[in-house]
Amino acid sequence: MKKLQDIVLFGYGSFGRQLYKSLRSRGHRVKIVVGYDDYVEIESDAEVEINRINIKRNDDILALNINAAESIFYCAMNKTANNLFLVLTLKSLYPEANVIANSNSNETTRKLKYAGATSVIDLYEATSRRIVNVLTKPAVSMALDEIVYKQNDLKMLELELQENTFLEGKYVSEIQFRQMGIILIAIIDKELGYELVFTDHRINHKLDAGDILVIVAKEKDINKFQEMLVSKSSV
Amino acid sequence: MKQTKHKLLSFAYYLQGSKRYNKIKNFVYDLLENDDYPYKKYFDFFMIFVILSSVTLLVMDVKQHIPAWLDDFDLYFVTTVFVIEYLLRMWVYSDIHKIIIDEYEESSYFDKEVSFSSLLAKIVKNKWEYMTSFSAIIDLIAILPSYRGLRVLRVFVLFRAFKMLRYTKSLTGFLYVLKNKKFELMTLLTLSTFFIFIAGIMLYVFEGANENKNIHNLFDAFYWALITISTVGYGDIAPVTPEGRIVTMLIIFTGIGLISFVTSIIVSSFSERLGVLREDRVVQEVGKKKKLTVVCGYGLLGRLVVQGLVKEDVEFVVIDSNEEMATLAYNDGYHSICADATKGGIFEKLGIDEKVSHVLCLTSDDIQNAFIAVNVKSLNEKVHVAARCSDHEIATKMEYAHVDQVIMPEEVAGMMGAVYAGEPVAFEVLLSIIEEKAKTQINEVSITEGSFLDKKAIGEVDFEKLRLILLGVFKRSEDAKLGEFIFNPSDEFVLNAGDNLVCIGYSSAVANLKRKM
Repeated sequence: MKKLQDIVLFGYGSFGRQLYKSLRSRGHRVKIVVGYDDYVEIESDAEVEINRINIKRNDDILALNINAAESIFYCAMNKTANNLFLVLTLKSLYPEANVIANSNSNETTRKLKYAGATSVIDLYEATSRRIVNVLTKPAVSMALDEIVYKQNDLKMLELELQENTFLEGKYVSEIQFRQMGIILIAIIDKELGYELVFTDHRINHKLDAGDILVIVAKEKDINKFQEMLVSKSSV
Repeated sequence: MKQTKHKLLSFAYYLQGSKRYNKIKNFVYDLLENDDYPYKKYFDFFMIFVILSSVTLLVMDVKQHIPAWLDDFDLYFVTTVFVIEYLLRMWVYSDIHKIIIDEYEESSYFDKEVSFSSLLAKIVKNKWEYMTSFSAIIDLIAILPSYRGLRVLRVFVLFRAFKMLRYTKSLTGFLYVLKNKKFELMTLLTLSTFFIFIAGIMLYVFEGANENKNIHNLFDAFYWALITISTVGYGDIAPVTPEGRIVTMLIIFTGIGLISFVTSIIVSSFSERLGVLREDRVVQEVGKKKKLTVVCGYGLLGRLVVQGLVKEDVEFVVIDSNEEMATLAYNDGYHSICADATKGGIFEKLGIDEKVSHVLCLTSDDIQNAFIAVNVKSLNEKVHVAARCSDHEIATKMEYAHVDQVIMPEEVAGMMGAVYAGEPVAFEVLLSIIEEKAKTQINEVSITEGSFLDKKAIGEVDFEKLRLILLGVFKRSEDAKLGEFIFNPSDEFVLNAGDNLVCIGYSSAVANLKRKM
């Protein structure tokens, strides 16, 4: 199930602040790092510890004592140039590091990817899709609101199958996910390699330990499902 | 008398109610005046052909005698077409039966008898309005050359060429420029008339007696003055006395000044009007659309949204108060207007009451967005307004102003970023669903009445065979504007026409289901 991560967040501008909030609400441990002369606005009720360093100096970053293998780096500086430079720095210091950067256009995304960012989050892409959806696909937009954007008990999440669950060795079509209140959207089937496949019934996957399921369900159904997974495995 | 009146009234009501009459009238109107009507262009082509053939005949007739049948064609066919066109235009200009009904209703309200004379006066006045309009006068003059008694009238065939202006719109812009600089141009015209007048009289005084054999009267002198002052200078009349030559030298200088002055006025007026002309054209072009979305702000977000709208075939217009951004949008091939969206004027021009269905406030300034949203909502509360915002405090204020959708890009992206930590696979799924870059997409299919899904229970539908994952059903409730999303409906859930299925699947699978509807 969900792992709690160590996260290093560079930048605490309007995007960084929102990212911090979301990460904290999911229980991750977040370390915030900003440059010496970056302006930081902290809401009065938030308890935020901010590390100020000289972003340009490798020594300063190394002095943060980050366990790069276990951490995720988020580059959320306000300036594109700073983000790009940061990605380069981090990748040169920790070649295996997991670096996520924020971008504001396709152009920037291309540069960040080239610099070695593992994944790039476009600040406007999702928003623009959402705006267009409201106009053209109101039902889709409402569904996404419920599942993704709104804080309610409907969630999308991923589950890694452990050894000896009741699902092991069964085919997807044999399991009545819908009756359990769960919709299986996508799967990483180890037998088919590590590619993400949507479960739109073109392939009937056989479930094994290590497979990853992406499901959408209500919180209470998720809990029930997880209990089932655990109890059946102990039998 | 009373009986005739009664008959007239009942006939007016009959026309009002007659479907066929109204259908024919609408058809004629569309054909003549409605630029959106697809068949109008065939009518236009036909008219242009008739006009051109008539002008060609006029030119041919100068040197060689045209055959009798062509002359008959010109006399009967062309004239008939023009007369019919003229009458039809007059017919569709207004509804006489409505005037009659209005008159009767008004007089019955005051318990008065309807007088025939006032009714007739009203009708004539109404149609007279049409007859005195510029294009109607041109149309009428174009019919005149058919009267063969007067040779001079033949030249009026060229007025038929004027009729073609109806079909070109760019000229109105030029006329507008002239109208706009009316004062300056009138001043110059008066000035040059004055110079011509003075110079002409002076030359006539100096050389009119017998000195110059080319100047016979005052008209010749004025003609010479105009030819000289305009710097054309044919030379058919030239001054011969020293006094006359001095006058010539003086008016040549004034002439050069006047001409450059006129040119600069027109050029500067054009460049001043260029933005407005473009705006007018854009307003005119988008005015044809039935539903319009207004995108305010052409920044990074605005550009992405516009690209999405293009893909989904939504008609839109971009407004940016920054000239540079508006031009950028224009150069990208979109309808764009440089205007202040916080003011009412531009929205009224675009038809906020009827045409505009959505307004998207996407500038990078929260306060500006709130300002635009309030502006739009105060003009027409029914318009759906979405606003971008990066501050929760401002978001609550926008919601107070009844903004339908407040979107915070930082929050959306922040939430996505947070999903990545701990759930990278779910993140990937989310990204491909939301950004719609993979072939598997989330889409909606509306259930149409009588289709194979209408009144079916979910359990009876084989989504497996359709190769779709059903996420839920969006039910439009009657009272609520938004409707309700039912996640994972049970097998017993019955689908009805108007419901929307929200499913995930290959775009071709969705298209397949849509085809089946």
